[in-house]
Amino acid sequence: MDDDMIFDPSLKKKKKKKTGFDIDSTLAGEQNETTSIEAPAESGDVDVPEDDNLDLDNFGKKKKKKKKTFFNLEEIESALPETKDEKPPAEEAEPHGEKVIDDLDLDIDFSKTKKKKKKKNIDELVIEDDVKGDDQEKEDDMHGDWVGGDRDYTYDELLERVFDIMREKNPSMVSGKKQKFIMRPPQVVRIGTKKTSFANFTEICKTLHRQPKHLLDFLLAELGTSGSVDGNSQLIIKGRFQQKQIENVLRRYIKEYVTCHTCRSPDTILQKDTRLFFLQCETCGSRCSVASIKSGFQAVTGKRAAMRAKTA
Amino acid sequence: MSIQNLNTFDPFADAIKSSEDDVQDGLVHVRIQQRNGRKTLTTVQGLSSEYDLKKIVRACKKEFACNGTVVEHPEYGEVLQLQGDQRENICQWLTKSGLVKPEQLKVHGF
Ligand SMILES: [Zn+2]
Repeated sequence: MDDDMIFDPSLKKKKKKKTGFDIDSTLAGEQNETTSIEAPAESGDVDVPEDDNLDLDNFGKKKKKKKKTFFNLEEIESALPETKDEKPPAEEAEPHGEKVIDDLDLDIDFSKTKKKKKKKNIDELVIEDDVKGDDQEKEDDMHGDWVGGDRDYTYDELLERVFDIMREKNPSMVSGKKQKFIMRPPQVVRIGTKKTSFANFTEICKTLHRQPKHLLDFLLAELGTSGSVDGNSQLIIKGRFQQKQIENVLRRYIKEYVTCHTCRSPDTILQKDTRLFFLQCETCGSRCSVASIKSGFQAVTGKRAAMRAKTA
Repeated sequence: MSIQNLNTFDPFADAIKSSEDDVQDGLVHVRIQQRNGRKTLTTVQGLSSEYDLKKIVRACKKEFACNGTVVEHPEYGEVLQLQGDQRENICQWLTKSGLVKPEQLKVHGF
């Protein structure tokens, strides 16, 4: 996710620079323009050189495109009714001037005046926006370029903004992401040829906040075997099992009996109500019944002769 | 994953399974058990008693090239037993043959 987010914009920027006639490029031009215009609102002296640069950069055909995008913007983003009222006259005035420039490749002076016209308009708008912005969201003050809400925001910056606000408002979420659910892997050792020791069984029960008996019942039922906890609080299971296999069973146990079925939070309580077990989530408050542990049918393995002798 | 409470319960399970097996929850439990050494045993519990399990076991034996038998259990009814870890095989076969719906299968073990 993050990599993509970081990676994408740079790609787009490259594209913008290379291809001259794309919509991307026009958008890029648009952005440059608006940002440069917003800056002047604060400091008056710097405007002129910046404007020159811009004009030189976006000379010729691009200007037409700029205009087009402007119109589009207004059509699409009719967010502020006042902007609509004020803008059309400014733009109506421009087209003739710009055509002349395009044809004659003439001067920067002309465009400057034009720009100034625009600037004035936008300055007014910015002020109005500021007032509104303060009313609506105070968060906007932290990200300056969001105030002059006239430009077309790119998806990436909007996304970044949302994430910034999210992280700002709940820092616990940021840390919670990494927290996940860390549990030590089960230590599984073979005892002789027929038994397996699950050494940190009790410890895992504690980290999962579950009764050892419950996990024991589940393990034995799933593995279709028998076993018990010995004096050293390790679980001795009949049969040969590898750590990976025990891990798989544990994972299933956690999924069914530890993590919340709704929000997956491991902060849950297992309650026994009459004969059913319920999983109560401490994070989202959901409560749902979980399957009861049944070992089910157990095939008779070994010692068949002894059994026969008994029944006979 | 999806909400467990919704997908474990099949409202039509009653229609599929016979009225006899009252202990069953409408699921077909596929389990594995260790025998001596590295030998294992696969058991299939909860198949509808309307099916002829002897025929099923015959087909499975041939298909998976393993031995198998049908065991009658007082509580769980007729149970299929196959030699070796046939859990994947039997699950595929049961769903492919249409005897069991995939959501009815519950596979246990490691
Ligand atoms: Zn929850």
